[in-house]
Amino acid sequence: MSYKFDKIRVLVVEDNIPMLEICKSLLLTFGVGEVLSAKNGVDGFDIFCKENPDIVLADWMMQPMDGISLTRRVRNDPASPNQYVPVILMTGFSEKKRVVQARDSGVTEFLVKPFTAKDLYKRIAQIIERPRQFVRSEDFFGPDRRRKAVVNFDGPYKRESDADMAALQKKRMKEASKQLDRLRNKAGLSKGDKFGATDIDFT
Amino acid sequence: MPKKDDTHFNMTKKRTVDFHTPPNSLKYKVGQGGLSDDILSKAQALLENNTTDFRPLGEMYLDSMMRGINAAKACPDSTTQDETIIAAILFPAMQLKANGGMFHYNLVTSISDRLIQFLEVIDEIDPDAIEIVMAFHTTIRAILLGQIRGDGGQRGSDLMNALVDACYRYFEKYPDKKPD
Repeated sequence: MSYKFDKIRVLVVEDNIPMLEICKSLLLTFGVGEVLSAKNGVDGFDIFCKENPDIVLADWMMQPMDGISLTRRVRNDPASPNQYVPVILMTGFSEKKRVVQARDSGVTEFLVKPFTAKDLYKRIAQIIERPRQFVRSEDFFGPDRRRKAVVNFDGPYKRESDADMAALQKKRMKEASKQLDRLRNKAGLSKGDKFGATDIDFT
Repeated sequence: MPKKDDTHFNMTKKRTVDFHTPPNSLKYKVGQGGLSDDILSKAQALLENNTTDFRPLGEMYLDSMMRGINAAKACPDSTTQDETIIAAILFPAMQLKANGGMFHYNLVTSISDRLIQFLEVIDEIDPDAIEIVMAFHTTIRAILLGQIRGDGGQRGSDLMNALVDACYRYFEKYPDKKPD
């Protein structure tokens, strides 16, 4: 079974026409039902209000309205039909300060150009499988900016969306347990025996 | 007497933050299973086989960058804090980086990326910095004119090294301008 992308509509906002065509073709190859397009943020917001698409894929640099301003309008304008719509921002910038700037405007995902088909798909899969909760504060409305991976995290994975990580962790724990059993057997110890590092030859 | 639900003690609330979990209508629509490798391969092939000529677009960004360089020359000692000056060079560079690789000009992407890194760390657009930006501009134009697609092989590597060396020499000449 695979995603039924034919049920969704995506709005692509990009002023570079060849790039706009590439994005449209990629999405149609993925099986997206309808791809709407606009050449700048102003037109993009108008189409967004009229069509209420499921995903917005926008370029950062555009005139007269860029992708950041478009995102802010989508999130905060009273005319916006869906303030929660996932916005994927495409850009050549990958420097941290630019990513932070995009994140603070309410962007859901960041897609650095040049990208592969898989990169685009990964962002879409991410917003489907790991949607962010939304935060409303005095000066911000948008996706929670704290989806942070802790490299050394060794606690339990409790979320449903963490199923893969939980399975990997379980597998590692099983392997560690087997290894411990092997070391115990080698040292002639049984499971109940207490031992220190010096009791076992780890070589 | 303290109240249990008073999270701000006896002070006025300074910040109110609400969390919302919107319904995942996208998941409901598309269901489960992801996309097959076959579809992803087809999509990637589409990217790799696109025949759009990047050169007119690249030239347009280079022209735009040259206008930015001329504007910077006209305002000597402008700092990178002046967003309008730096943006006029940085944004076309970003477009070259972003789009070159999408249209098979990977060397344009990697060289523009280095230019962006340079522009992001310098504090002052002095004449020497402008010379370096000009060197990047000339190199990218040469790549487009020579239709050097992909990473350009050894020639591409040599061009990149020459530009990186120029940046190193700049920071050696102006050690106080080295990024932290």
